[in-house]
Amino acid sequence: MTFTSLCHLPWRRAASSSGARPEIHALGDAWLTTSRLANEIDRWHAWLATQPQGAWLLYNRDPALFCPALLALWETGQTAVLPGDDRPQTLAAMASQVVGRIPERLPDEAPRSRPMPAIPATLARDAIAVTLYTSGSTGAPVSVDKLFACLEAELDAHHALWPLVGGKPNDAAVISQVSHQHIYGLLVGLLHPLCAGVPFCARDCGYPEVLSARLEEAHAAGRTAVIASSPPQLARLPAYLEWAARGRIERLFSSGAPLPQRHAARTEALLQAPVIEIYGSTETGGIGYRRQRDDTDWQPFPGVEFRIEAGTLRLRSPFLSDAPSPPQWWAQPDRAEANGERFRLLGRQDRIVKVAGKRVSLTALEQALHECDAVLDARCVTLHDDQERLGAIVALEADAIPQARDERHALLTTLRQHLSQRFEGVAIPRYWRFVDAVPRNTQGKLDNVLVKRLFADLNDSRLPRWLGDSHPAPNTVRVTLEVPEQLRYLDGHFDSLALVPGVVMVQWAYRLGEQYWGKLGPFRGVERVKFQQMLRPGTRCTLTLERHPRHIAFRFSSGHASGQEHYCLGKLRLDEVTDA
Amino acid sequence: MSETLDLSLELKRMIIKTLELEDITPEDIDPEAPLFEEGLGLDSIDALEIGLMLQKHYGIKLDSEAEETRQHFASLNALKALVEAHRDH
Repeated sequence: MTFTSLCHLPWRRAASSSGARPEIHALGDAWLTTSRLANEIDRWHAWLATQPQGAWLLYNRDPALFCPALLALWETGQTAVLPGDDRPQTLAAMASQVVGRIPERLPDEAPRSRPMPAIPATLARDAIAVTLYTSGSTGAPVSVDKLFACLEAELDAHHALWPLVGGKPNDAAVISQVSHQHIYGLLVGLLHPLCAGVPFCARDCGYPEVLSARLEEAHAAGRTAVIASSPPQLARLPAYLEWAARGRIERLFSSGAPLPQRHAARTEALLQAPVIEIYGSTETGGIGYRRQRDDTDWQPFPGVEFRIEAGTLRLRSPFLSDAPSPPQWWAQPDRAEANGERFRLLGRQDRIVKVAGKRVSLTALEQALHECDAVLDARCVTLHDDQERLGAIVALEADAIPQARDERHALLTTLRQHLSQRFEGVAIPRYWRFVDAVPRNTQGKLDNVLVKRLFADLNDSRLPRWLGDSHPAPNTVRVTLEVPEQLRYLDGHFDSLALVPGVVMVQWAYRLGEQYWGKLGPFRGVERVKFQQMLRPGTRCTLTLERHPRHIAFRFSSGHASGQEHYCLGKLRLDEVTDA
Repeated sequence: MSETLDLSLELKRMIIKTLELEDITPEDIDPEAPLFEEGLGLDSIDALEIGLMLQKHYGIKLDSEAEETRQHFASLNALKALVEAHRDH
């Protein structure tokens, strides 16, 4: 078996050649080979012959169902439009650009025996192979046409760098954990093994247990595995699956977002294989690659030229579809700096983030939130190093600010439902902070310090949720707080009627006093403490602190401006605060 | 009876803690409703986290076919059935 370039229909060559190696059959029905595909492709030909010609919407989770339909479209000179997900809104938005949607399964009426279809000798390099969708800088979906020439050039580059046949190994089997609806999964998980004539997985392998089973099968069939994965999956690779017993893995690819270094190192140790990260985008295809063990800078793909302009990356690439001739420099909205032949990435230039490898426009999320009733302002932020979850800070009209858990819950349901019409699950913020105005620092900005403060209760379950403050008089501060549902002190108190213990409120008053006024004198106890109402999880309240020379007066009251009720009030006795 | 009720509550609490669902209480999780997408709104990252959680707390290793796992993750009751079946072994 040798590598055949995409436009020479490698899947047909394999079917007509002397036949598959016997081990392939030992792999079982979770695997696809070119010889298994030919019959299915022919049946799709027969069905497509009864249909209008043009661009077709193609979405299928299973490579076994996706692949023959895609190849039949290509052989009949048609384009596949690949949505990233199959939510009704996504598909509806593309309906006008296609003649129809390819059915999930080959319709029964498709003839089982048919005349041999006319199969072209080559595919036209300047024709559009696939149309992909991604989120543009404004958040609106942008379509990207990929010519056969671009896909072919990129696959040739993969073969040159990481051959699946004709080099080492010469007996590969490819397991993909990522979707072929996106460019990376399509190239690495499906088209490269097709061009090389090696087996690849027929079904979804996203879960680690499935990956482990496929590795075992590849090993039993005497094959060396190549894996296509992504940062969220590698970050959660369980150690208990005894990877060492799963046979030799030639390499693992990761793409979608940079893989944190500790996860790269852990994956290499667990799987005993190099982790190759691919950096690219839907528009550009692959731009560079790296193995973090050797170098954290990115090596451009062969044929890709780069330069840095105004701190951002510019490139010329044979994988770019709409590159005019002579090629123009493509502006990639990533900040970067050159390091000889290589480059270093410094983050996005715009407000696009990658959540679970999906491009999410924070601007688009904020705009969508603005459309909701009573929303005055909205800011979305990434919270973890891995950028896996988003937080939203939403400023609301006073009447709409939730004061108790049921109100908060109802509001969240409304906002989430609104967003889910336009965004995938991972893009919808997990953590929400409702405020009367988005907090700003002295420069008028929502900075990292404020963001950390708003979400501090996530990392410390002893804290109340801080939602802003004001200073109505000298030595007086008014802090808006919310009682987190996951507050540690609620545990085991009253199961059905959880409430914040009084001692916890006193402690909060003391700690917040220190936050605003620096180190207070030693705590000498409380005076005149009254507990008037129970403070429950999910409740919003205002803590007013007044600083006096020998004590701090504190008052937890309801968030409502009118009809104030108090939860707890009293005085914290201190030594006189010294300036020393 | 109380044992299965306890398991249900235990799983709900574990899911809330593992996935940092800061606004959800056990009562909010309908045992028959889908955990993913239209139900509780969980996503593909959460699915991986639940897999790790099941191994850590119950020693359960998921099936080697993604379709089976999708069925186990369909609702809280489906998840509970998986844990119970594992305990009976």
